[in-house]
Amino acid sequence: MKTGFSVFLAVFVTIGASWCGLVLAPALQLGGAKQETILNGTDTYPLQPTGAATLGLQVYRANACAACHTEQACQTGVVCEISLTGLGVYQPADFKAFVRSLFVLPELASYTNAIGASINNWSGELPKPILITADKKIATEMADRLKAVGVKSEMNILATGPDIARGWGIRQSVAADYLYAQPVQLGSLRAGPDLSNIGVRVPDAGLLLKHLFAPGSVTKDSTMPAFRHLFEVRKIGSAPSPDALNLTGKFAPPTGYEVVPTTDAKYLAAYLQSLKANAPLVEAPFTP
Amino acid sequence: MSDENKSCPPPSGNEPEVTRSAAPMWIIVTTLVLLFLGGLYFDRHSGWFNQNVYAPYTSAKQLDAFQPRSGAAAARARGKAVYESVCGICHGPDGLGKLGQAPPLAGSEWVDAKGFNRLSHIPLMGLNGAIKVGGKEWTLSMAAMGAALPDDDLAAVLTYIRSSWGNKASPVTSDDIKKIRASLGPAKAMTSDELMALPE
Ligand code: HEC
Ligand code: HEC
Repeated sequence: MKTGFSVFLAVFVTIGASWCGLVLAPALQLGGAKQETILNGTDTYPLQPTGAATLGLQVYRANACAACHTEQACQTGVVCEISLTGLGVYQPADFKAFVRSLFVLPELASYTNAIGASINNWSGELPKPILITADKKIATEMADRLKAVGVKSEMNILATGPDIARGWGIRQSVAADYLYAQPVQLGSLRAGPDLSNIGVRVPDAGLLLKHLFAPGSVTKDSTMPAFRHLFEVRKIGSAPSPDALNLTGKFAPPTGYEVVPTTDAKYLAAYLQSLKANAPLVEAPFTP
Repeated sequence: MSDENKSCPPPSGNEPEVTRSAAPMWIIVTTLVLLFLGGLYFDRHSGWFNQNVYAPYTSAKQLDAFQPRSGAAAARARGKAVYESVCGICHGPDGLGKLGQAPPLAGSEWVDAKGFNRLSHIPLMGLNGAIKVGGKEWTLSMAAMGAALPDDDLAAVLTYIRSSWGNKASPVTSDDIKKIRASLGPAKAMTSDELMALPE
C-alpha cells in the first residue's frame, strides 16, 4: 500500500476534527458550568434538587417519558416593552396629546401609530404598556424622552416565540437548567407538551399523580398512556391512606378500594415539580 | 493460491498503477465558497463561542444590551449580593458587626453620613487603628476589601449599606467612586484621624 500513510492521516484528521468539534469544544465551552446568581437577585440557580427529585429523574428515564415530552423551551426573539408607571404632572388626556407631539419626529414616526393605538381607549390605569419593540435603541430613546418630561416608565424585557406563547416557559432553556440532570432528558418528539417548566405550571403533586394514573381524569380525551404500574390499587385498610388519589366518576376505583402511588411515582412527581426553568439569568434575560 | 499466481504472470507492461492527478478545479472552488459561507454563518451566529450567548442573541454585546436594568431595585439587589459575599463575613449579614472582629455598619456614623467621601476611602484604602463607632471604640484593622471591586459593584455595596438596617443616607453612583478612586493617594491603610481630615 503506497498511500497507507496518507490514508491514516486523512482518517486521523477527520476523526480528530469531529472529536474537537463535538467533544472538546463543548467541554471547553460548558464543562465548567456551575451554579450562578439569578439576574438582579441574590438567589443561586439552579438549586440542588432534593433526593426524591434526583431519583425521580431515573423513573422518568425508565418510563421513557422523553419519547413524547421534550424538556427544552425555545425562544425565537426578545422584545422591550415600555410601560408607563407614573404620569408626573400630566393627566391621561394631556398625556395623550403630549405623547403624540413627542413622537412626530421622523425617526420615531413609525412607532407613533403603535403608541397612538395603544393609548386611544386608555382611561389612565397604570402600569400601561405603550410600546413593544425589538429595537433596544428605540426603546431606550423613548424611555429617555419620557423621563425628560417627568413621566415615569419601565422597560421590561420579554422573551418571545411559539413555546413562550403556549405558556411552556418564560424564557428559553439554557445549559444551566440541566446542571444537575444526569442524564439530561432533552427529548426530541413533542407528542405531549414541553415539560421544562412543568413545576411552575402544575405545582400540585396530587394533580401530577392523578394525571399519571389516569391522564383522562385531568385532560379530557388525553392521548397520554396511563402509567398504572406506578400505582397500587388496594383494599382500604383500617383507615384510608393520606396519599390516596382523589379520583371521581369513571376513573374512581371500586368502592372499598383506593389508588396509592408507589414510591417511584412519588419520586417522579417530585422530579416534575423540580422542573422550573423560570429564573432570569445573564444568558437568558427577562424582566420577571 | 500463490502457485496459481506464479503460473499466470500478468502480461508485461499493462500492470495498473496508482497515479496522482490534481483535484478538479470545481471541487476546489466549491470548497472555498462553502468555507466562505461557513465563515459568514459563524461570524453571524457563534457569539465567538461565548457560553452565555444563545440564539436569538448573536453576540455578547447584544445580550448585554437586553439585560433588564430596573434602576434602584437592581442596584440594591446587586449591592446586597456583593455585601453578602465580600463584607458580610466580618460585618455580619445584618450589619451589626461582630465582637472582636468588625464594628457595626448599622447606625454607624461613618456609614449613615451625609457625604460618602470618607466612607468610600475605608474599603478603598483600608483602615487601621482606633476608630469610634456609635460611641464605642474599636482597635482592629481592615484591609482594603473594596479596592479590587469594580466601580459599579463598590457603588452598589456602599449604596446598600447606606440604605439598609435603618440607615437612610443618599445613594453612591459608580461615577462618584471613579472620581474618588482617581484622587486616592498611595495605597496605605488610613487611620480615623486621617479620614476626619478629608472632606465629608
Ligand atoms: C405516548 C406519548 C406520551 C408518553 C410516553 C408520556 N406522555 Fe405525558 N403527555 C402526552 C400527551 C399527548 C399529553 C397532553 C395531554 C394531557 O395533558 O394529558 C401529555 C401530558 C403530560 C403532562 C401534563 C402537561 C401539562 O402541561 O399540563 C404531564 C405532567 C406529563 N404528560 C407527564 C408525563 C410523564 C412523567 C411521562 C412518563 C412517565 C409521560 N408524560 C409520558 C403524551 C405522553
Ligand atoms: C476581614 C474582615 C472585614 C471585611 C471583609 C470588611 N471589613 Fe470593614 N471593618 C473591619 C474591621 C476590623 C473594621 C474596624 C477597623 C479598625 O478598628 O480600625 C472595619 C471597619 C469598617 C468601617 C468603619 C467602621 C464602621 O463600622 O462604620 C466601614 C464603613 C467598613 N468597615 C466597611 C466595609 C465594607 C463596605 C466592606 C466590604 C467591601 C468591609 N468593610 C469588609 C473588618 C472587615
